[in-house]
Amino acid sequence: MFLNEVQEQVLETTRSFVDAVIRPAAEALDREERFPSEIYDQMAELGLFGIGVPEELGGPGFDTLTYAVVMEELSRGYASIADQCGLVELISTLLVRHGTESQRKILPEILSMRRKVAYCITEPEAGTDVSGIRTTAERDGNGWVLNGGKIWIHNAPVADTGFVLARTNKDAGNRGMSIFIVDLHAQGVDRGPKEHKMGQRASQVGGLDFQDVRLGPDALLGEEGRGFHMMMSVLDKGRVGIASLAVGIAQAGLEAAVDYAGTRKQFGKHISEFQGVQWLLADMAKDIEAARLLVYSAASKIDRGLDATRSCSMAKCFAGDMAVARTADAVQVFGGSGYIRGFEVERLYRDAKITQIYEGTNQIQRMIIARELLRKGARS
Amino acid sequence: MKILVPVKRVVDYNVKVRVKADGSGVDLSGVKMSMNPFDEIALEEAVRLKEKGLATEVVAVSAGVGQARDTLRTALAMGADRAILVETSTDVNDDLEPLAVAKILAKLVETEKPDLVLMGKQAIDNDMNATGQMLAALLGWGQATFASQVDIKDGAATVTREVDGGLQTIRVNLPAVVTADLRLNEPRYVSLPNIMKAKKKPLEEKKISDIGVDITPRLQVVRTVEPAQRSAGVKVGSVDELIEKLKNQAGVI
Repeated sequence: MFLNEVQEQVLETTRSFVDAVIRPAAEALDREERFPSEIYDQMAELGLFGIGVPEELGGPGFDTLTYAVVMEELSRGYASIADQCGLVELISTLLVRHGTESQRKILPEILSMRRKVAYCITEPEAGTDVSGIRTTAERDGNGWVLNGGKIWIHNAPVADTGFVLARTNKDAGNRGMSIFIVDLHAQGVDRGPKEHKMGQRASQVGGLDFQDVRLGPDALLGEEGRGFHMMMSVLDKGRVGIASLAVGIAQAGLEAAVDYAGTRKQFGKHISEFQGVQWLLADMAKDIEAARLLVYSAASKIDRGLDATRSCSMAKCFAGDMAVARTADAVQVFGGSGYIRGFEVERLYRDAKITQIYEGTNQIQRMIIARELLRKGARS
Repeated sequence: MKILVPVKRVVDYNVKVRVKADGSGVDLSGVKMSMNPFDEIALEEAVRLKEKGLATEVVAVSAGVGQARDTLRTALAMGADRAILVETSTDVNDDLEPLAVAKILAKLVETEKPDLVLMGKQAIDNDMNATGQMLAALLGWGQATFASQVDIKDGAATVTREVDGGLQTIRVNLPAVVTADLRLNEPRYVSLPNIMKAKKKPLEEKKISDIGVDITPRLQVVRTVEPAQRSAGVKVGSVDELIEKLKNQAGVI
């Protein structure tokens, strides 16, 4: 009812693809911690990467609300796959907004997944506090030399191209950081081992090490010293993406729980006939709907060019906390089965946890919400 | 070659339908609707024929309520070049009888002059399986129903039909009406860029009064009932008991 005809169509096509291809594959992908190239190829054909990339640059050119709808659906199938879509969306948004004509030439390869990307921000001493990064890029002739290291980078074990945040001026604080487009097959780039995570295990995550990696003059994205700013400029959209992803995980949990409650029998009747189980289901449904509406509201604000920071943080924070709490309820509805590997809800509970942590911890989101409240007033 | 593909907006196949309290039919208010799956297959075949260079234009048509516009948008996103909607009612609970649809289509064929009408063998709501046959009769064209394979060559269609007990291959001269069965193909997913492109494709809207076709119902629904609830099975203790029950209780052996 909040979506227009085109958004409904996108929802429909994504949903049928998710039900037929992604959701049935999730259990094995989680178990094998495998990068699902074959699914990404199909998604690329359907145009599910780079949803916001304008038509003239080879994308479908959809708005943020449509992106949110796609992310929720993909995540209802499997969060790792949605997160790949989110990653490509962020990188392509950066390229569209700040890339030169020649830098944008890689967009078709990125959208078709022939070129895999990584967004390289986090370092051992710089997690939430990005200003602590130690990776440096120093001028060298008309190019740069990159030194340092990154950790917990999504796609690091498989990526071809990194978008690397590095310090270009030691004394300029947040204005002394720049983003570089780095060939990860170049000399001096070393990949750390793949991390084994609690959830979203098909996402390949690891470290990257840079030793005297030479970068050409075309490696700098946008202006020197504007890296932090560029990163912040895509944060709102990133948070809408993660909020949608959290809603999708919870929605999958609800669907599984409703089905199970209607088939599992104890004391001679379906457990859905017990009020205790009904209340679990009702609470799941209402909180999921509330989170979804926060996401739609935040996405719509971005699309209308309004100040969306508070809304995006609210959506991300609420949806992440909700997903953890309500997938726990889904496990509860399943009882002992919900604790067993191979049952979808067991994976969903693990997959949900990271949504309280990445794209800004939910503690940071609360700080942002409070800051916005105190600065701009209680009315949004 | 120009192909006309009629598509019907029907209750989505995932929906658990409910019979209206007065038994006059199925309650369609607030129910999710989509393109009739057999029509989707017909459209996919038409689009494939165009991709193979055998067809030059694919026109999707629908008759019914204004909301069938959404179904036609899906058809355009799947690859139809343009669409025509004939609005016959504003009440979502109204359904057209096969003869009315066939007459409307016959009128459209007069103006569109397609070489082939490719359509679903039946709609999954009423399962009439009659519109294609009636249309062929009204037009005086050949028909090939229940198609599981269609080959177009030298102004004729060689069609493999799914008939009781096997497959039958026939040849019909074009123009003809071909109705699609389940195994003709597997329809594609609509891609996001094509959804965007479909917005710019032409969708012509006509009113039933513009067409001048009498769609007054000829049939009267006497009663609509839910299927009987399946009763629980029985566990048997031995093969002998099973045979005894099959013989005396079920009466099947």
